[in-house]
Amino acid sequence: MTRSLRCLLLCATLFLGASAVRADPIEVLGVGVEPIDEGYVVHADFWFELSPRLEEALANGVSLNFMVEFELVRPRWYWFDETAAAEKLQVKLSYLPLSQQYTVASGPVQQSFTSLAEALRVLGRIRSWPVMGRDRISPGQSYVGAIRMRLDTSQLPKAVQVMAMTTRDWTLVSDWRRFRFVAPEKESR
Amino acid sequence: MTYMLIASAAVGGILLFLLATATANSPIFSEYYPLLLWLNAAVALALLGLVIYQLVRLARQRRAKVFGSLLTFRVLVMFALVGIVPGLLVYTVSLQFLARSIESWFDVRVEKALDGGLNLGRAALDVMLSDLVLKAQVMALDLSDVPPAQQPVALSRLREQLGTENAVLMTSGGTVLASTSTPTDRLAPGVPESALRQAHLNRGYGAVEPLGEKGLVLRVIVPLNTLALVDEARFLQLTHEVPQSIADYGESVQTVYRAYRELQLSREGLKTIYILTLTLTLLLALFSAIALAFLLSRRLSRPLAILAEGTQAVARGDFSRRAPVTSRDELGILTQSFNSMTEQLGEARNTAQRNQAQLEMANAYLESILANLSAGVMVFDSGFALRIANAGAARILREDLGPLDRVPLSQWRKLEAFAGMLQAQFAMHPAAAWQVQFELLQRVAVLLVRGSLLPGASGGGYVVVFDDITQLISAQRAAAWGEVARRLAHEIKNPLTPIQLSAERLQAKLSRKLDTDDATALHRATETIVAQVTALKGMVDDFRDYARTPIPRLEGLDLNRLVADVLSLYEQSGTLVRARLQPDLPSVRGDPDQLRQVIHNLLRNSQDALAGTSNPRIEVETAAGPGTPGGQAWLKIVDNGCGFSSEIIERAFEPYVTTKPKGSGLGLAIVKKIIDEHQGTISIENRRPRGAAVLIALPLAA
Repeated sequence: MTRSLRCLLLCATLFLGASAVRADPIEVLGVGVEPIDEGYVVHADFWFELSPRLEEALANGVSLNFMVEFELVRPRWYWFDETAAAEKLQVKLSYLPLSQQYTVASGPVQQSFTSLAEALRVLGRIRSWPVMGRDRISPGQSYVGAIRMRLDTSQLPKAVQVMAMTTRDWTLVSDWRRFRFVAPEKESR
Repeated sequence: MTYMLIASAAVGGILLFLLATATANSPIFSEYYPLLLWLNAAVALALLGLVIYQLVRLARQRRAKVFGSLLTFRVLVMFALVGIVPGLLVYTVSLQFLARSIESWFDVRVEKALDGGLNLGRAALDVMLSDLVLKAQVMALDLSDVPPAQQPVALSRLREQLGTENAVLMTSGGTVLASTSTPTDRLAPGVPESALRQAHLNRGYGAVEPLGEKGLVLRVIVPLNTLALVDEARFLQLTHEVPQSIADYGESVQTVYRAYRELQLSREGLKTIYILTLTLTLLLALFSAIALAFLLSRRLSRPLAILAEGTQAVARGDFSRRAPVTSRDELGILTQSFNSMTEQLGEARNTAQRNQAQLEMANAYLESILANLSAGVMVFDSGFALRIANAGAARILREDLGPLDRVPLSQWRKLEAFAGMLQAQFAMHPAAAWQVQFELLQRVAVLLVRGSLLPGASGGGYVVVFDDITQLISAQRAAAWGEVARRLAHEIKNPLTPIQLSAERLQAKLSRKLDTDDATALHRATETIVAQVTALKGMVDDFRDYARTPIPRLEGLDLNRLVADVLSLYEQSGTLVRARLQPDLPSVRGDPDQLRQVIHNLLRNSQDALAGTSNPRIEVETAAGPGTPGGQAWLKIVDNGCGFSSEIIERAFEPYVTTKPKGSGLGLAIVKKIIDEHQGTISIENRRPRGAAVLIALPLAA
C-alpha cells in the first residue's frame, strides 16, 4: 500500500516537475537593491508574454495573479543559512470588458491600460518595492539575494486549476535570479 | 487490518468532505484544491491496495482450502454486489446528469443577452465619451485662440460653459498649468503618464477608466493647437465621472459577463472537477464497502471456522475444546449448543469409560478368582462352544486350551474322550446338574466332573467344574489300607504264634518216631511253616507299623547331620553314595527317628533299583529354598537305577504298589505318610537317561 502511495507521489512530482521545466519562462532582465531612508527597496524588471491560453483566460474575465518573491539570505557554512528577508508581492492583472481596459493592481494601487502589451510592461517593472528595514541586515556583511516571478495558479478558479493540472499552458514562472549583495556601511548613507 | 480500514475510511471521508466543500462554489480550499484531489486519489489507491491485499489473501486461503474461506468469498461477493451495483448505477446517472446540467448552464441566448448588455453599456459609455471628446475639441479650439497667459481663466469659463466636471491644462511633460473642477472640493484626478503619452502619439486620447472599486471615469486628452510660440506643447484633459447608476449597472453587467465567460472557459475543467469528485467518491465508497465486506464476511465465517475446528477436534476424540461464544445471534446459539453437546459427549464418554473400567475390574476379579481356583472351570455357550477355560482347567487337563477357544465340543481334536463324556452327560441331563468321575487316559488321574446349566437370562450355556481327585482317592486308599493293615495285624498275628509253636512241637515230638526220610520231610515241612510264619509275622509287623505310625514329635533338627548319620551306615554297602550338603542349612522341623526312617527307606529303594546297574550311584543333596512362609529345606535323593514305570509313578505312594520282586510295597507309602504328617511335600520323577529322583521339602523350624 505504501509502495503504491509512494509511486503515486513520485509520478505526481515527475509530472509537475516536467511541466514546470517546459513552460515558457519569465525572463529576469535586471534586479537591484537600493537603500533608502527607512530600509531597502528592490527594483526589478521582468519580461514575459502570455500564452494564447492565458490571454484567452484573461479576455474571458479570469484575473491573473502574479507573485514576485524576494529572499535575502546570509550563507553560513556552520549552520542553516540565515534568512534576512523573505517578501512576496502580489500583482493582479485583469481585463475589464466594459471599459475594455487592462488593470494592473498591486495592493491599493491600480493602473489601467488600453493595451495588453503596456499592461504587461508595467506589470514586469517593479519599482521601489520595500522589502526590509535597515535593522534586518548587518552592515558590511555579504548576502545572497534571490528574486523570481511566477503566475500564482493557486489563485485561479478551481476549474481552471484542474485544467492547469493536466497542461503546461497555465504555468508561467521565472528561475530564481541570484545575486550577491553587500550591505553598505553606515557611512555610505 | 480493521484499524487500517477504519483509518483509511475516516481519512477518506474527511478528505471527501473537504473535496466536496471545495468543489461546491465556494472560495474555501480553492488554493489547496489540487492537493486535496491528490490526497483523495491517494486514499482511494490505499483502499484499493487494501482490497487487493485482502483478495490475494483470500485467494491464497482458498487455494490452501482453509475452512470458511469459501463462505467468506461468497459473502464478500454478495456484499460487493450490493455495494457495487447501486454505486455504479448512481454514478452513471450522476455523470449523465452532471454533463447535462453543466451544458444547460451555457445557453446561446443567455450569452447573446450578456453580450448585448455589455455592448449596451459600452455604447452608452462611448456616447458619453464622444460627447466629452467633442467638448474637449471645442474647448481646445477656444483655448488655442486665447493667449497662454489667459488660458487658465478661459479654461474655467469654458468648463462651466460646457458643463464638464474637471478640466486640466498641462504641458506634454505632465506639468499641470491650470485645473478647475465643479465640486470645488474634489481633487483633480492625476494625469496618468501612459494616457498622456498616447495623447501625444495619437493626437488625442479618450477612454473610460475604472475609478476606485466601482466607479467609472471618462478621460479625454486633446492637444492644444496654439499659434503662439510656447516652449512646450500643451494638452487639455477633461474628466467626467460616469453617473453612479450607470456605473453600477455597467459593473453588474460586467461582473456577470466575466463570471459567465469564466465559467464557459473552464467548462471542461468544471466537468473534470465534478467527475473527479464523483469518481473519487465512488471509489472511496466502493473500496470502503468491499474492505468492510471483507471484515463482515470474516466476522460471519469465523465462528463457523471455530465450529469446524471444534467438530474436527470432537471427531478426533478431543472433547476438551470449547468454541468461544462471541455473539448473541443464531451463530452464538449454535456455538453454545455445540459446546453443550461436546460437553455431554465428553461426560457420556467418561461415564462409559468409568463403567468399562468397573466392568473390567469386575471381570479381572472374576478371572483372578477363576485363575486361582485349583478346580478347573469351563464355560460353554448354548452350542457347546468353549467360551471360558481357567488356568486350573489347563493345569488339570495338561493341555493348552487356547486353540479350543470358541470351538464346539464335537469338533475338539484333542481331549476327545473328555469332550465326548461332557456331551454325553449334558445330553443325558438336559435340565439338571450332574456329577461324574472320569478317568483321564492321558495320565493316570481321576477327575470329579460336575456339570450344570447356566440360567437362560445370561444367554444360556453350560458350565463344567472339575477337580483332580487322584490325591484324594489315594489318600482314601491309604486310609483304607491302614485300617486293613491294622485288622490284619490284629487278626492274623494272633494265630501265627500257635501255628509256629505247633509246627515246632510236631517236629520235636515226631522226628524221633519217624524214619529218616519222613523225619527229613517233616523237618523240611516244619521249617517251611516256621519260615513262612516268620515272614508272615514280619509282614504283619510292617502292616502294623504302617497303620500305627506314631504321631511325630516335631522339634528343631539339623537335617545335614541326620543325613550324614544315615549315610555312614551305607559306607560299606558297595554302592557309591555321594552327598552334597549345603552348609549352614537352617534347622528343619521334624521327628529325627521318623525322618531317619524316611531316609533309610529311600536309600534302600534306590539300592534295590540299582541292582543290575553297571555304575551304581546315589546322590543325596540338601538345599535351602523358598516356599511356604518361614521357608523350606529340600532333600533330594537321585539314583541312576531302573526308575519307575509310568503306571507306577502316579500311584507310587500307595501301599502295595511296588516294582520290586519282593517287598511289602509299603516303603514309599510310609515315607509319604511321614512327610505328610511333617506338613512337607514329596514328589517323584524319572530322570533321563535313567534313574529316578525323589524330592522332599520340609518346613523350617520357627
